[in-house]
Amino acid sequence: MSEHVVLFAGPMGSGKTTAIRSLSEIAVVSTEATNTDRETADKETTTVALDYGEITIDDVTKVRLYGVPGQKRFDFMWSILAGRARGLLLLINNDAPDSVALLLEYLNDFRELHARGAVVIGVTKSDVSETPSVADYSAALTAASPDQLIPVFTVDPRNAEEMRTLLLTLVASVEMRELLAPAPTPISENI
Amino acid sequence: MNLTPAPVAAIASHLNPVHIEAGNRTLAEMQDLASSLTFASLLTDDGFEIVHLNGTHADGGRFASMSSSVQALSDAVAHELKIGTNEYVIIASELGHVIQLRVQGHPIVLAALFDTHETLGKGLSIARIAARRMAELIA
Ligand SMILES: Nc1nc2c(ncn2[C@@H]2O[C@H](COP(=O)(O)OP(=O)(O)O)[C@@H](O)[C@H]2O)c(=O)[nH]1
Ligand SMILES: [Mg+2]
Repeated sequence: MSEHVVLFAGPMGSGKTTAIRSLSEIAVVSTEATNTDRETADKETTTVALDYGEITIDDVTKVRLYGVPGQKRFDFMWSILAGRARGLLLLINNDAPDSVALLLEYLNDFRELHARGAVVIGVTKSDVSETPSVADYSAALTAASPDQLIPVFTVDPRNAEEMRTLLLTLVASVEMRELLAPAPTPISENI
Repeated sequence: MNLTPAPVAAIASHLNPVHIEAGNRTLAEMQDLASSLTFASLLTDDGFEIVHLNGTHADGGRFASMSSSVQALSDAVAHELKIGTNEYVIIASELGHVIQLRVQGHPIVLAALFDTHETLGKGLSIARIAARRMAELIA
């Protein structure tokens, strides 16, 4: 059985916790706290340490799903968990102010993981805000790093099938990278 | 965007003058009880610092975020193992003990760093008194 570790990152309210809950086959480990910042994201709770779930794909591949808090003040959790991952699923909520610039910012925050592994972008809440378009994100990504092709999809994290498609794309990309450059021994493999 | 003003009762603790005032008082009283207290902070469950002890130069904001993560992870462990409500979190290190506990009935955590001159038991009892005091002051 092969195993992958994938990190869900992106702004507060982009749907990371929702996505992991949609995908996971095990009861998700969550660390939700009462949200006092309703301006940034109007929801009851917010993740303050991590989300953890697991899913088996193709019967032989286990994927460990880690979600991080979206807020920058928890960036120590980003470093702790990014070290374990080889794939990054970056979710960006389309209704965030200046969401294209925000995406580039988050991608830059995870550049170390990006350099080592694979990245897929999921644009969420496109039912809430129709713009920008996937093409707008792609154009900005190409302008920022012309030599890389990062796939961008729209996705609803509440929809397990859609999330699964995104995850399979990411896992395929991680496996491709591993064929080209085998992973160095991770610092810590298990929680 | 939701532009409805939040009801008064819902003012976040770190923005609530009553909670800030109560927090300062709680921590000052706590310091009077223990000279070994080197840092203390009251924070919201989601990691915003409400107040920290004056005269200390640790990065309060960062400590608050880390404390909230630690608290939530400990709660998750207690939940996973079905061992009831998590009462304290203790990080016992070579040069100091961090003790954390919730302020009963509020999404607020008290986190305190004692130097090793204090026994863990005394630290726990002082932290408990302070958490109770804070709850009293904002009841
Ligand atoms: N309308 C709509 N709501 C969404 C979508 N994705 C997520 N949500 C909701 O937005 C909130 C996202 O919260 P959460 O998963 O906690 O975000 P996190 O901060 O990234 O973990 C939840 O209430 C979801 O139900 C979407 O594509 N459309
Ligand atoms: Mg979350």
